[in-house]
Amino acid sequence: MKYYLIRLLRSVLTLLIVVTVVFLLMRMMPVEGYFGTNYDKLDELQKQAKLENLGLLDPWYIQLKDFYVSLLHGDLGQSITYRPKVAISTIIGSKFLVSLRFGLASLSLSLVLGLSMGILMARSKGKIWDKLGTGYVVGANAVPAVIYYLLIQVFVTKWLDLPLLYEKVNMLSWILPVICLSLVSTAYYAMWIRRYMVDELNKDYIRLARAKGLRNKTIMIKHVMRNAFVPMAQYLPASILYTISGSIYVESLFSIPGTGGLLVTAIQRQDNTLVQALVLVYSSIGIIGLLLGDILMATFDPRIKLHNEGGSR
Amino acid sequence: MKHKATEEILNGEIVLSVDEIVIKFNLRGKELTAIRGASLDLHKGESLAIVGESGSGKSVFTKSFMGLLDSNGRIESGTIMYKGDNLAKFKTEDDWIKIRGKEIAMVFQDPMTSLNPLKTIGKQVQESIELHQNLKGEEAKKLAIDILSDVGISDSEKRFKQYPHEFSGGMRQRVVIAIAVACNPNILICDEPTTALDVTIQAQILQLLKNLQKKYDLTIIYITHDLGVVANVADRIAVMYAGDIIELGTADEVFFDPKHPYTWALLSSLPQLGIKGEPLYSIKGTPPNLFKEIVGDAFAPRNPKALKIDFVKRPPYFEVTPTHKARTWLLDPRSPKIEPPAMILKMREMDEKWGVSNE
Repeated sequence: MKYYLIRLLRSVLTLLIVVTVVFLLMRMMPVEGYFGTNYDKLDELQKQAKLENLGLLDPWYIQLKDFYVSLLHGDLGQSITYRPKVAISTIIGSKFLVSLRFGLASLSLSLVLGLSMGILMARSKGKIWDKLGTGYVVGANAVPAVIYYLLIQVFVTKWLDLPLLYEKVNMLSWILPVICLSLVSTAYYAMWIRRYMVDELNKDYIRLARAKGLRNKTIMIKHVMRNAFVPMAQYLPASILYTISGSIYVESLFSIPGTGGLLVTAIQRQDNTLVQALVLVYSSIGIIGLLLGDILMATFDPRIKLHNEGGSR
Repeated sequence: MKHKATEEILNGEIVLSVDEIVIKFNLRGKELTAIRGASLDLHKGESLAIVGESGSGKSVFTKSFMGLLDSNGRIESGTIMYKGDNLAKFKTEDDWIKIRGKEIAMVFQDPMTSLNPLKTIGKQVQESIELHQNLKGEEAKKLAIDILSDVGISDSEKRFKQYPHEFSGGMRQRVVIAIAVACNPNILICDEPTTALDVTIQAQILQLLKNLQKKYDLTIIYITHDLGVVANVADRIAVMYAGDIIELGTADEVFFDPKHPYTWALLSSLPQLGIKGEPLYSIKGTPPNLFKEIVGDAFAPRNPKALKIDFVKRPPYFEVTPTHKARTWLLDPRSPKIEPPAMILKMREMDEKWGVSNE
């Protein structure tokens, strides 16, 4: 328990450092960015007034203090330039939901497809299924995703008569984006589970299991698959959480109002509050994901102890 | 005499009979003959040791009894008769399931890696029991705990719930043995059971195997290149070289009256027999290339005193006693008298003087 407490405190500290650094970096940007195309049209007084209004003329430590104080009250502030005067939580809330929905759908799809594909490949190692699967893995990784995203959008929509763009109410329009999002991650899951299973299959304890009279099928299910899944378990929580950060390509291609690329846009338009909020969320996700992954792995693998019990031997 | 009497072994029923078995492997497009017509009868209740250097085919030979050859290996010809079935003809998993564990079980060399790291040792023993002894759940668990105590794991009820990484090497080997015994087999094959263990533990494990042999009425095959182990446990010894059994006899016969030049060489290289101040004997050269066909006696090229015929014709088995036979032309009445090396004679002397064989 003490271990988790220390670990949690350390995570919070990391989070504070990341957010503070990003906060300060944003303050070092030239002020022109806050005005966009209006910069030339405004006179010096108007500019000063606007900056004053945004609180940007205060010394940096005052700004930082204000930021943390309002954060403690659960207030992420208002957008400056992206959608002026709209609460950040309103902007990102709905976007996160959309990305999360797509992300979870594609994650489940690629887990189901990828794991079954990898297991099939491991079981028929060196045979035709393995070779086909390897071909897919290499293809998915070697060809830039944009290329087959486009091909899918252009051709598959025609063949299967599916909508070209995302519509909120039309479930059919969800199919292609989810497939696009799953293509690469399916290949990854297949590759890793195959690799871990082949590793396990070559271990001595499999030989012993066979010698004691277990059937191959039983060995696969009871010994190999479970053991091969452990190293994958570590990354699973992070993958789930990261789905809310969306995908720039797929979301812009199908015009999905998700979070993909939002951070880039926010930085370009110098929307300090939005950047801070996004960094805060993404960093927390990363840190929580790692922590959950470690916990998950420790529950699967008795050899891994996250905390010191002492005298276990 | 700690070994069983010769007659008792020979009169015992034959449990496994291997005849002229040939095993080949396909390796990088070439064909390798790993076992070249080896034959062996295994008698009920005996301890047979198969000795030979690395690559002589000891492991492959015994793996073929359980269908555990690697996928590029196959039995080319010959028979392995067990309870009226010819195991050499077995192909499918369904065939082998009837043999593996249930009839023949195996203990492997490296206990550190032979157990599934993510399952408790109790579950792994219980798995054997549920497979082969028609017990389920609590009953199987109870028996598993009993067997764990049998193999010398104290506090076995508590240890049942522990994982392999909580055990030392020697303890893990006990668990591996427990798994094999829990299958309730007829024959137990121990593939270098003590090689990975330190010397003090080795003796304990061998003693354990001897005790279990009595308790569970096992026939044990030891595969080893450690002649110390052999002297300790074996009733009979089969010496393998280049995929063939070149000499077979009771432990006393092979240790004190060896006939094959390879057995002589093997025994002469025992450090215990070395003479102070003189370099330790070692066998010159390397074993033959099994990718090529071997003509004559496989050991002839490494044997400084080889006869001409050794390079031409493969020797048949010559019987020395009803329990002792060797594949060497030296036993042919027409061959010249060649005395075994001094060290072998010294061994005999040592035996007569101090009764080494009686310990």
